[in-house]
Amino acid sequence: MNENTMQATPSADVEVEASASAVSGRPIAIQVNNLDFYYGKTHALHNITLGFPERSVTGMIGPSGCGKSTLLRVLNRMYDLYPGQRATGEVMFSGQNILGSGLDLNALRSRVGMVFQKPTPFPMSIYDNIAFGIRLHERVSRSEMDGRVEDALRRVALWPEVKDRLQASATALSGGQQQRLCIARTIAVRPEVILLDEPTSALDPVSTARIEELLDELKTEFTIAIVTHNMQQAARCADQVAFFYLGELVEVDSTARMFTAPRESRTQDYITGRFG
Amino acid sequence: MDGTAEQPTQAEPPQITRRWDGDALFRTLVVLTGISVLIVLGAIITVMVTGGWKAFSTFGPSFFVTAIWNPVTQHFGAVAPVFGTLASSFLGLVIAVPLAFGTAFWLTALAPPTISSVIGMAVQLLAAVPSIIFGMWGFFVLVPVMAHYVQPTARHMFGHVPVLSALVSGAPFGTGLLTAGLVLAVMVVPSITAVMRDVFVSMPTVLRESAYGLGATRWEVMRQVVLPWSRQGVVGGIVLGMGRAMGETMAVTFVIGDSNHIGWSLFAPANTIASLIALEFPESPAGSLKLSSLMALGAILMAISFVTLWVSRIFLARGEARAGKRS
Repeated sequence: MNENTMQATPSADVEVEASASAVSGRPIAIQVNNLDFYYGKTHALHNITLGFPERSVTGMIGPSGCGKSTLLRVLNRMYDLYPGQRATGEVMFSGQNILGSGLDLNALRSRVGMVFQKPTPFPMSIYDNIAFGIRLHERVSRSEMDGRVEDALRRVALWPEVKDRLQASATALSGGQQQRLCIARTIAVRPEVILLDEPTSALDPVSTARIEELLDELKTEFTIAIVTHNMQQAARCADQVAFFYLGELVEVDSTARMFTAPRESRTQDYITGRFG
Repeated sequence: MDGTAEQPTQAEPPQITRRWDGDALFRTLVVLTGISVLIVLGAIITVMVTGGWKAFSTFGPSFFVTAIWNPVTQHFGAVAPVFGTLASSFLGLVIAVPLAFGTAFWLTALAPPTISSVIGMAVQLLAAVPSIIFGMWGFFVLVPVMAHYVQPTARHMFGHVPVLSALVSGAPFGTGLLTAGLVLAVMVVPSITAVMRDVFVSMPTVLRESAYGLGATRWEVMRQVVLPWSRQGVVGGIVLGMGRAMGETMAVTFVIGDSNHIGWSLFAPANTIASLIALEFPESPAGSLKLSSLMALGAILMAISFVTLWVSRIFLARGEARAGKRS
């Protein structure tokens, strides 16, 4: 393959649209400033500065181990569960530095939800999986809970498939259904931000397409950050794309520009598949 | 050798038949050691049942429903020691399970890694303490405390309450069911803690993080996600501890007070199958009905232990099947 075809391949899949200006016009939901992250003595993220525009999708790409999942785990302070992991710098969310002390972690996580690579249904019924998160933070009547559960399941287009077996175990669902259940569980808590860590890498193409459609709808209401290894997925779903390499943020730009005219040669190399 | 000298001249393809390399001998040896386990187990069961046969045939079914143990009238029944065994084990578990759960929860969810490994090691060491040590500790430390402080206080507080007064009645000997239960609790806490810690740790990290990710506190994660997920394993660990408690002999013999008696009082001296056998065996002449009755008790204890072990295996296997399915 020569240089030209390699460059042309990804851009052919990208629908060039005016998303760049739309994104840059939006207020920033989460602003990361000069973030450094350490696993013990390992310096995993170097001086990251990145803004996540409100109600749009930020795709995070890069080879394995480049720190994109680490950044995701900073945004809801999941790393706090593990001693020896620490972050320095600033992450501004609703006027507050969430890296500061004295933060109510449970409240933060109810506002910044997370969906994982593998579907993680809890060992309980479909209904209780959704109700679990709501019950943690609110006291709602039985009928309101029914409504919230139904609403969340409808939002992920799972309602028609499970409405007759809400009391069945969630672990009996298929992988794609389980992942949509996990997304429903996350949005049922009514967060402002949803973090997705390679949400479709364990799913078949049909389930993947459904999740991607879903992201398109969800971004009208939520700020979304998605880590993905799938370049096409980033091109299809994201409004802006950030490329990470060896713990550094190499480049961030609107999806259209990122896949057609990246500024950095490392970005170019990665998205054309020369490494990674 | 002949074979090697002939090979080049005949130019035959290399032989792939088996040579004798000690495999067969080794195989025979390990099969024999494996079978010997069965033989020993079978022999023990045979000895207990045939040894106890005289008692079973003399007293018939009444052996299982009589609470009399009278060497003078040569009348023996199994109910009191069976009751003592079950009651002291039950008390031990009631005390041990919350302690073990708390320890396992703290070790897996809250303690810093260095402290967690130190305490984890201490728990293992506690399991390695010989039971005679627990017996002496129970006799010299626990029994006086029970006699001078615990039972008098309990009687003072509950002695006039209709139902509770029965539980605290009796002379303050210090020895008794509750003392035995306390010693047993200390002895079974390590093994139950170890099993609980293992099943808690074996839960997939992403499942735990999902719950934290929804904003759950550590207790909410434990109560609503970890415990339901590991329920089978936890029950299996508890039953395993129960098996240990029922068979425990030396420590219980020291502190239970040796009285063939069934009653409501937690402080009344009692006996267990194991303690009764340990105390009476030396005074039972060969061929006597008393010795046979002790053997019969032994057979009953074995039967109870087998059932307990079997039940715990079922629970643990189910727990593992669940873990495998979800991992």
